[in-house]
Amino acid sequence: MEELKKGGIFEISDLKNVRISIGEIVEAGEKEGRAGEGEGKEREPMGPHPMPRIATLRDWDFKLLNRYKPFYAPLCDMCCLCTYGKCDLTGNKKGACGIRMDAQHGRIVLLACLVGCSAHCGHGRHLLHDMIKKFGRDVPIDFGPEVDIEAPLTRLVCGIKPRTIGDYEKVFNYIEEQIVQLADALHTGQEGSYLDFESKALHMGMLDSLNKEAADIIQIACYKMPSGFTGVGDGPDVPLVDVGIGTIETEKPVIIVIGHNVPPAADIGDYLTEKGLEEVVELGGICCTSIDTTRVYKKAKIASALGRQLRVLRAGIADVVVVDEQCIRADVLELCQKTHSPLIATNDKAMHGLVDRTDDDPDKIVADLVSERVPGVVILEPDQVGEVAVRTALEMDRKRRKLSFILTDAEFKHWVGECIQCGGCTLACPNGLRIGEANKSAAALGDTKPLADLFDLCVGCGRCEQVCKKHIPIVDVITKAAYPQVKAEKGRMRIGRGPVWDSEIREVGAPIVLGTIPGIIAPIGCGNYPNGTKDAWLIVKEFAERNYIVTLTGCMAIDAALWKDEDGKTLYEQHHGGFDAGGVLNIGSCVSNAHIHDAAIKVASIFAGRPLRGNYEEIADYILSRVGACGVAWGAMSQKAASIATGFNRLGVPAVVGPHGAKYRRAFLGRADRSEDWRIIDATDGSEVFVEPGPQHLLVACETVEEALPMIAKLCFRPSDTDRGRSIKLTHYIDLSQKYLSAYPPDWHLFVRTASDLPIAAKGELLKKLEDEQGWVVDWKTKKIKEGPIRGYNPSFNPTNLERLVRGRGKGKK
Amino acid sequence: MGVEIPFDVANIPGPEVGEVVAPEVIGSFISSAKRPLLVVGSEILRDDFFVETAMELAKKGIPIAATGHSLRGFVEKGYGEKVSYYNLHELTNCLRDPSWRGLDGTGNYDFVIFLGIVYYYASQMLSCLKNFATDPLVRAVSIDRYYHPQARMSFANVSARDGEEEEYKEMLLRLAESIKR
Repeated sequence: MEELKKGGIFEISDLKNVRISIGEIVEAGEKEGRAGEGEGKEREPMGPHPMPRIATLRDWDFKLLNRYKPFYAPLCDMCCLCTYGKCDLTGNKKGACGIRMDAQHGRIVLLACLVGCSAHCGHGRHLLHDMIKKFGRDVPIDFGPEVDIEAPLTRLVCGIKPRTIGDYEKVFNYIEEQIVQLADALHTGQEGSYLDFESKALHMGMLDSLNKEAADIIQIACYKMPSGFTGVGDGPDVPLVDVGIGTIETEKPVIIVIGHNVPPAADIGDYLTEKGLEEVVELGGICCTSIDTTRVYKKAKIASALGRQLRVLRAGIADVVVVDEQCIRADVLELCQKTHSPLIATNDKAMHGLVDRTDDDPDKIVADLVSERVPGVVILEPDQVGEVAVRTALEMDRKRRKLSFILTDAEFKHWVGECIQCGGCTLACPNGLRIGEANKSAAALGDTKPLADLFDLCVGCGRCEQVCKKHIPIVDVITKAAYPQVKAEKGRMRIGRGPVWDSEIREVGAPIVLGTIPGIIAPIGCGNYPNGTKDAWLIVKEFAERNYIVTLTGCMAIDAALWKDEDGKTLYEQHHGGFDAGGVLNIGSCVSNAHIHDAAIKVASIFAGRPLRGNYEEIADYILSRVGACGVAWGAMSQKAASIATGFNRLGVPAVVGPHGAKYRRAFLGRADRSEDWRIIDATDGSEVFVEPGPQHLLVACETVEEALPMIAKLCFRPSDTDRGRSIKLTHYIDLSQKYLSAYPPDWHLFVRTASDLPIAAKGELLKKLEDEQGWVVDWKTKKIKEGPIRGYNPSFNPTNLERLVRGRGKGKK
Repeated sequence: MGVEIPFDVANIPGPEVGEVVAPEVIGSFISSAKRPLLVVGSEILRDDFFVETAMELAKKGIPIAATGHSLRGFVEKGYGEKVSYYNLHELTNCLRDPSWRGLDGTGNYDFVIFLGIVYYYASQMLSCLKNFATDPLVRAVSIDRYYHPQARMSFANVSARDGEEEEYKEMLLRLAESIKR
């Protein structure tokens, strides 16, 4: 039967013995306007690529991969995935199945992205199930008057304007089907080209972006998290929240929530509110669940980011620990047992061997937990978690009040004296920390500072203890040495604001594309830092003070909040929270970082008027060429971080990772010395133009934060920059390089097209350097460049990588 | 010398692991290399000795690529103009390309020496060169205080015990001494 559209009438009468099956009810025509309002104008027509399949955007991927060629650094030289193996692929040899090392590493990257994407998809689908069960399918997606384009990625990828959370069922159906097809490609005897593996990884990354947007939109809609309602503490004016181990009031019963999926934590907040216990019980959290809890429960606090998880649990401050999913330590139950902290697992993806007590009598569950007859329970219904967690915390607080899990002075002295300086801990430490030397200072000289200094450098993995021949509780020893600073760890952070407002995009769209706001910097992700959390603070500080827009999510948003200036203010207190020059925005949890994609997409859509619906390739091309955005995953650790970065990359946004990021095995690196790689099209007339390398890379690691700062600035150059914008970007690139590398960047001249691109204050000096060092010809009378640049500055240059967008050609003509 | 444990103990790549060798062995390879390159990282900034050692090697005709923020150390010694800044990812990407024209525009290198680079980042880049810079072969070695199994040749680990940093410095001096160019 044909689809009935546009209000068609289908009459049924006098039918007998007929079964009618209704598949999907298609609306009479999608209209603009917010959910719940009258219908507005007809929506834009569907673009060329709604719900793209694996090969749909392959041409776009290959354009990216041709310029930013995959670079592989194997972490392991073997393949161990089938019984032909192990196969030694060293030296790019082929294995028994015929796969070479490069393709195998494309495959491993795809696998990492699969895991990361699946985590967000599983999270989003799980959340959708819970929310539909609790609130129904018809919760409107209405983010207030400031957010008309409520779901840019959903519209862009799927061509769907979601009106209610139920509309996300078909979005997840699409994502799940694509994930399975991509996972299929991983099997032995499927794909053999590293480029095609990477195209699939880019597809997976795009799906992951969509997952995140879906998950955050669903929770914003259902929990009324901050979004686009003016005047109620939304958007730029979201309130501040306490951050840090020292902010948790341990004299109260304490519940610590860990993970990413907020409904159980939200139920705890609801229960505390309902029972009037908000001032009695402390609700704190670790990682993204903590960020999202502060979006639904105003008394919640953030104990720490991921990097402090082991230490928070070891410190025993939690009277109850509640875990949901992702980024939970695999040994969480063992840790909780040692501190007599009952564990409640609330998600079937992380049950830790505990008995499922969902639907059991809360009285019995609480009694079992408080008596420690069981170390923990599984409760899979979020709405049953609050009562059990709170009642258990109240009782455990009475039992545990006299317990302390911080080493005594005598214990500390004993353990540091046990160290035999074997160096085993250093070989086990991801950062190679010289723990033995610090122990020695404490034992021999009574100087605990070297140990205390390790507290922030430590990523909190505990591998050192696994190899210690003397069984020294090294993590506890470091925590004891640093205890005064741990207690003083009290920061402030804006709660996650969710979407960037359309009105903000209207204000800053032009300055971003023209370059006068020099860039959007997005510090996101995990805490596997090479040199402590202060790097996160420094990155935000440098760029916010230079009037970039800094949008943070996840653990970097938390860690950046731990540090203060000399006036005792955090960066969130020093800078405004608006999406404008100098803003420091906490967008929210990991899933919220889709709103950073969305901001870039909305620049293309709202400012430039590019069609959005099912039009991924054109929008990504626009962003790559014109939107000076750069992600910074300085402590990227997880597979989710791999898929997140890959999703950013497909959309044309580069990312800088810390040195541990080199262990992701793959980078996307451009070559400034290969001019043929930087040929793009002027859409105005179809001419080919050789341009400067902007952005030079899509994914690159830096060794130190000092190196990363100028690199981040460099990756904000775009071919579309106006001369004024280019001048501002060059100013920061050169200044950051001089400040942190003590020298001009060796490639700054590549970004000069005309004398007016040069920073005004140093124009003469820079012209002289161009003449002397690069052999450029300068007309000193007019102070203009006559010869030298890769290209001249053309204010009407309309850069694109897509031939079909040339005016007068193809469907995409303007 | 015997078998060594990787500095990051689980960093065991596969059947081909670097040989632990004496400084003079690496010195002799450098002496006979056609186009050696010294790649230094930010850890050289922990002691002037390492910057000065790199400068000594440069005087023997080995160009320096300064990665991370190591350039600062050379600038402070008035030597900044004689070294080239490169991001290590960018540099390794070039080194694996036989058509790369090098720091001086005359071609790629056949022998690359890593010094003072954060261990795990260096290890990954050494892995890239081992696996993909094979035709023509670019030999990459480490003269850091860590055993690097991804390098073709490496020093052994130098532990934190008293005097071993001095021992390591002594190894670098022996290396410099043994290079005849």
